[in-house]
Amino acid sequence: MKTVLTIIKKEFARFFKDTRLLITALILPGLLIFALYNIMGTIMQNAEDKEAEKACTVYIADIPDSLEQSFLLSFSLKADFNDETARAAVKDGSLDLYMAFPKNFDEAVKDYDVSSGQPAPNVQIYYNSAKPKSFEAYSLATALLSRYEQTLVNKFDINADLNGVYDLADVQNVSRTVLSTVVPMVLLMLLFSGCMAVAPESIAGEKERGTIATLLVTPVKRSVVAVGKIAALSVIALLSGLSSALGMLLSLPKLAGSAGGGITFSMYGFGDYAAILGVILSTVLILVAVISIVSAFAKSVKEANGLVVPIMILVMLCGVFSMFAGAVASIGLYFIPVFNSALVISTVLSGTVSVAGIAVTICVNVAFAALLVLVLTRMFNSEKIMFNR
Amino acid sequence: MEEILQVKNLKKTFKLSRKQRKLEGGAATKKAVDDLSFTAYKGEIFGLLGPNGAGKTTTLRMLATLIKPDGGDAVIDGKSIVSDPYGVRSKIGFLTSELKLEDFFTPNYLYGYFSRLYNVPEDVAAERKKKMFESFGIDKFAEVKVANLSTGMKQKLSIVISLVNDPDFIIFDEPTNGLDVLTAKTVTDYLAELRANGKTVILSTHIFSLIEKLCDRVGVIIDGRLVALDTLANLTAEKNLEDKFFDLYKSVKEER
Repeated sequence: MKTVLTIIKKEFARFFKDTRLLITALILPGLLIFALYNIMGTIMQNAEDKEAEKACTVYIADIPDSLEQSFLLSFSLKADFNDETARAAVKDGSLDLYMAFPKNFDEAVKDYDVSSGQPAPNVQIYYNSAKPKSFEAYSLATALLSRYEQTLVNKFDINADLNGVYDLADVQNVSRTVLSTVVPMVLLMLLFSGCMAVAPESIAGEKERGTIATLLVTPVKRSVVAVGKIAALSVIALLSGLSSALGMLLSLPKLAGSAGGGITFSMYGFGDYAAILGVILSTVLILVAVISIVSAFAKSVKEANGLVVPIMILVMLCGVFSMFAGAVASIGLYFIPVFNSALVISTVLSGTVSVAGIAVTICVNVAFAALLVLVLTRMFNSEKIMFNR
Repeated sequence: MEEILQVKNLKKTFKLSRKQRKLEGGAATKKAVDDLSFTAYKGEIFGLLGPNGAGKTTTLRMLATLIKPDGGDAVIDGKSIVSDPYGVRSKIGFLTSELKLEDFFTPNYLYGYFSRLYNVPEDVAAERKKKMFESFGIDKFAEVKVANLSTGMKQKLSIVISLVNDPDFIIFDEPTNGLDVLTAKTVTDYLAELRANGKTVILSTHIFSLIEKLCDRVGVIIDGRLVALDTLANLTAEKNLEDKFFDLYKSVKEER
């Protein structure tokens, strides 16, 4: 036990006394995510503002009185076109939309009898699907016309009271559902990148530089080396993951804009956070152990980083699938390491968590991590793995 | 004389890559150490002499339990390298160029770290460190990161670190490689001092003068086999060590 502490302390000293490592593994991830998300949020906001400023330009031939008011509200109406120039303008993008109504549209509509079998009055709308703005105008125009068509034969309404509240879902519940689909995957990725920042360097790096051999000729048990390394690296990886998470949380208001308003920390209780923390801890143990094993197998840090990519994809998939499995998951799924973590986080966030699920997850993960420590110990014992170049 | 090391029929073979097999005439493996047996006595300096690639380092790595033999065994002070590697590790000090010290740390930190790994009591370690750092001149560089130390200073630190547990049995692989004459002398003087204190030293080298200056007995290894084993005095009775070695080498190559 004393020796484990000696090894853990040395790993900490290696990390916390190295300013460069501290910056690249602890400060940069959070800072970069914060900066990146803020820039993204600002750009998205600007783009939205610009789009919103400019209404679509539309030329309407023979505009009927009944529709003039609603078109004036929705579009910037242009004159000075004829049939030919309007079509050319839509084609080259200088005009967004050209609508041609039949002459005396209102009378024609009023007089038209559906049962007569004659062709109905026809509105022609010319648009350019290659231009987003033009397509937007087209969609808006057809929507306005459809609504007008409905009012002509109106027999009943649906949710006509504009101020009425019809969606009875709790605002918090909606936020919870959104969070439960997004957070597990993002969290897993952040934790994984935290582990990636430290584990290959500490195992493959030491192997590459020949310093782990110096440790292996001492009477320290291989299992002690494995446990010490994984414990120390897990703590550091957690801190690194925490830095990323902090960067993300702080930039969320900017990124989400007003849409993120319903999300607050007070939506969840102490038990929820404790469950998430426990699951995260057990997950980091597994991730660090897996990356350590890959690193012990690799000949250099570079090779380790390459070999880890397929595992990263697997972890991402765990996050993705947890979105679909969600509340309907049977207890059996909680026996799959890492995937069970995504499930628990997802169900905690959506408020459908089961205590059995949490218990199984933590037990399975810790057992799996212990198994991985055994594998790493065996690898430290193998001269083929540790000394073959 | 008391035996402290018995090496019995030690063997180690390495697998060859497919391309290397063609060069070696189709054999899938190469015998790096081939049925090696010898004994070392307490309080002597035993030299393993041989050309590059003869199997000296492989032999010493097996004795230090860094790698496992494919056959045979060696017993160091009653502990078998095959059945009790942990027991062996706590009794020996091992120095070879492959064992590196982390660039990031200082001699002070590393000495403390390895002392703790060997379970040396704090006060004993502090006293030992003071003495060793002084005799190797590391005391002035005790807080300089290993990365910034000179080659000689790094080698001296490696020697000091390999002896943190004050072992009775010391295995040094090419201890003076890459050192200038002054630094090399510090090392050879220290080896003589170890012997004077009753320690046993096994060292490997291809430098004849080092053997002539230090060793009590010599084993000559060529192509993984022990071709001569005697006291230095007997080996050099007729001619000097260098000429004797060439004779041995020639007769081995003619046999093949």
